[in-house]
Amino acid sequence: MSATTQASTRAGDGPLLVLDDVRTGFKTARGLVRAVDGVSFSLDRGKSIGIVGESGSGKTILSRSIMGLLPERGTVRSGSITFEGRDIARLSRKQMRQVWGKEMAMIFQDPMSSLNPLMKIGQQIAEPLRFHLGMNKTGAMETAEKLLQDVGIPEAHRRLEQHPHELSGGMRQRVMIAIALACGPTLLFADEPTTALDVTVQAQILDLLQEQRKDRNMSLILVTHDLGVVANHTDEIAVMYAGRVVERAPTAALFAHMKMPYTEALMQSIPKLDQPSHTRLTAIGGRPPDLVHPPAGCKFAPRCVYAQDECNREEPPLVQAETPGHYYRCWHPVGSDVWQKVQLKRAEMPAAVAGGN
Amino acid sequence: MTDTQTAAVEAVEAPSTTKRKRSFKWPTPSVAFGAIWLIVLLFFTIFADYLSFIPYPDDKIRVNGKLMSNYKLGPGSLAWFGSDGNGKDIFAQCIYFARNSLQIGLSSTAIGLLIGGTLGVVGGYFRGKVDRVISIFVDCLLAIPALVLAVMVVSRLDDIKESWTFLSWMTRKWQIILTLSILSIAPLARIARAQTLSLREREYVLAARSLGAKNGRIILKEIVPNLIPTMVTVAFTGLGILIAAEGALAFLGLGLDESWGFLIEASRRRLEKAWWATFFPCMMLLGTVMAFNILGDRLARRFDIREASV
Repeated sequence: MSATTQASTRAGDGPLLVLDDVRTGFKTARGLVRAVDGVSFSLDRGKSIGIVGESGSGKTILSRSIMGLLPERGTVRSGSITFEGRDIARLSRKQMRQVWGKEMAMIFQDPMSSLNPLMKIGQQIAEPLRFHLGMNKTGAMETAEKLLQDVGIPEAHRRLEQHPHELSGGMRQRVMIAIALACGPTLLFADEPTTALDVTVQAQILDLLQEQRKDRNMSLILVTHDLGVVANHTDEIAVMYAGRVVERAPTAALFAHMKMPYTEALMQSIPKLDQPSHTRLTAIGGRPPDLVHPPAGCKFAPRCVYAQDECNREEPPLVQAETPGHYYRCWHPVGSDVWQKVQLKRAEMPAAVAGGN
Repeated sequence: MTDTQTAAVEAVEAPSTTKRKRSFKWPTPSVAFGAIWLIVLLFFTIFADYLSFIPYPDDKIRVNGKLMSNYKLGPGSLAWFGSDGNGKDIFAQCIYFARNSLQIGLSSTAIGLLIGGTLGVVGGYFRGKVDRVISIFVDCLLAIPALVLAVMVVSRLDDIKESWTFLSWMTRKWQIILTLSILSIAPLARIARAQTLSLREREYVLAARSLGAKNGRIILKEIVPNLIPTMVTVAFTGLGILIAAEGALAFLGLGLDESWGFLIEASRRRLEKAWWATFFPCMMLLGTVMAFNILGDRLARRFDIREASV
C-alpha cells in the first residue's frame, strides 16, 4: 500500500494530470488506426489547456482516452494517465464510475443531442447529485436551481420543469455545463463546446467556462479546431496533428513565436478583420495523413510548404524552444534559414495562392 | 455572470425559449376514420351488455313473435346486418366477437413487446456475445412457419392440458394468444434492437455515462423512454396484423368460434343468397385492421417530426 500513501502525499501539490506516452489505436479491417500516438503533457490544478487540431487529428479521442470513455472492444491503449496521483488508465469501469462526474466531467459538442429529450432539465441535473453525493430529491433540486443560476440561466426555477426542446442551443449548453459542474469535478473536459452554437453565444459560453474554472479552482481541457477559441481562454495550448502533439506552449508564447509550420498554417486559415472582404482564405492543401500507414518522417511534411528531404525521411523529436515550456516538433521551424528562403521565394511569385503570407 | 450579460443572453435567446403554440389542425379524413372507428368499436364492445340496440348474440331474432332460423332476414331495421344461418343477429355477433379479436391482439402485442422489447434492448445495448446469442434466437423464431406453429399449439395443447392439470387455464383463446405472441416477439425484438443500437450512440447516453451512470440506469432512463414512441407506433401496425391473423386462424378452423373469421367461414358458401352474412364481418375486420394501420402511420409521421425538431 505504499502506492496509496505516496499518492496522497503527491495529490496536494503535484500536477493534477500527467500523461506519459499515451497511445490509443483502433483495430479495423485495414489495420491499427493510431488515433493518438504518444502524447505526453501535464496539467496543473486550476490551469487550462487548449487542444487544437483539425478534424481527425485525434483531439477528441485523446480527451476520451483520458476519461476512459472509449468502447473497450477493438480499442488498444497504452501509456500512463496519472490523475490525482493514481494511474487511471488501469482502473476498471466500476472504479472509473466513481471518477466520472465526481472528479472528471465532460461537456459535449452538440447541446442539441447531449441532453435526454424526454427528461426534465431539473431531473437531469439532479441525477448525478443523487447518485454521487447521495442527496435527497428536494436537496438535489435546490442545488440544481443554484447551479442553473450559476451558469447564468434566467428564471432558473421555471427551467427545472422544462424539457430540453424548450430551450435554445446556448441555454442547453449552459444546462450541460451545470450538469457537468454539479458534483464539483476537479477536471473538466470541453469537447468543442461552442462549435454548434451561434457566434454571439460562443463567447458567452467560453467566458462562462473560464469564470467557473476560476471560481471552482478546476482544471480545464478545451478541445477545439479553432485557434481563436483558445486564444483568450486557456493558459496553455497543445497543437495536435496525426495523433501527436506537434507544438505546445503557454498561450502568449505560442501566438508570439510559433515554431511549427502547421500552427502557422492554422493561424493563416483564420479570417482576419483587417483584410478586405472577399479575400480568399488560405487553406492547408491536402488532407490529414492515413493513420493506419502514417508517413515515415514528419507527419505534416506531405502538406508542408517548407518541407525538405530530411522531413520526409526522419521524424523530428519534440524539442524545447527559447521560451520555457514551449516545445515543438520540426526540423525547419518558423524563423529558420529554410523557412526564410521559402518565404522569399513565395513572395517573388506574385499569384501564389496556397500558403505563405 | 453579471446582470448585463444575463440580460444579453435573454435578449438573444428569448425568441426560441418562448413556447411555440401549436395551432389546431383538423385530422385528415383517413385519420378521422381510423380514430372514430376505433373509438366507436371500443365503446360498443365494452358496453355491449348495456346498450339496448345490441341484442345478445346467442339469441335468435324474433320477427312478430316468431323465431328466425335462417338467413331470411337481410340488413334492415330489425337486424342491422341481417341474420345468419341460425337466425342470429350478425350485428350483435360482430360487436361481441370484437372483444375476442381486441383482447387477443392487445394481449399478444403486450407479451411480444415485453419479451421482444427486452431481448432487443439487451442485445442492442450490450452487443458482443449477448447480442449474437439473442440474434440467433430471434432468427430462429423468425424461421418458424406461422401456420405450423398455430396448428401445433392448438392441436397439441388440448392433449397436453389433459395430462397436465396446471395448464387447465389454457383455453383456446390463450392458445391463440400464445401463438401470436411467439410470432410477434421476433419482429419487435429486431426493431427494438435496431433502435437501441442507434440510441446508445447518442451523445446524451455518452453524457450520462461520463457522469458515472450505471448500465441499468442508462437503459431504463435514457434508452427505454426514447424507445417508446417507436415501439408504440410499431405496436399499432402490429395490432392490425395480429387481428387479421386471428381472423385467419378462425377462418381456417384453428381459432375461436366466436370470431369474425369464423363468421366469414361459416357463411361464405351462401354468398349469393345471403351476402350480408359474410360481407359485414369482412368489413368489420377490414375496418379495424385499416384503422390500426392508419393510426400507426400517423403516429410514425408524428414521432419522426418530433424527433427531428428536438
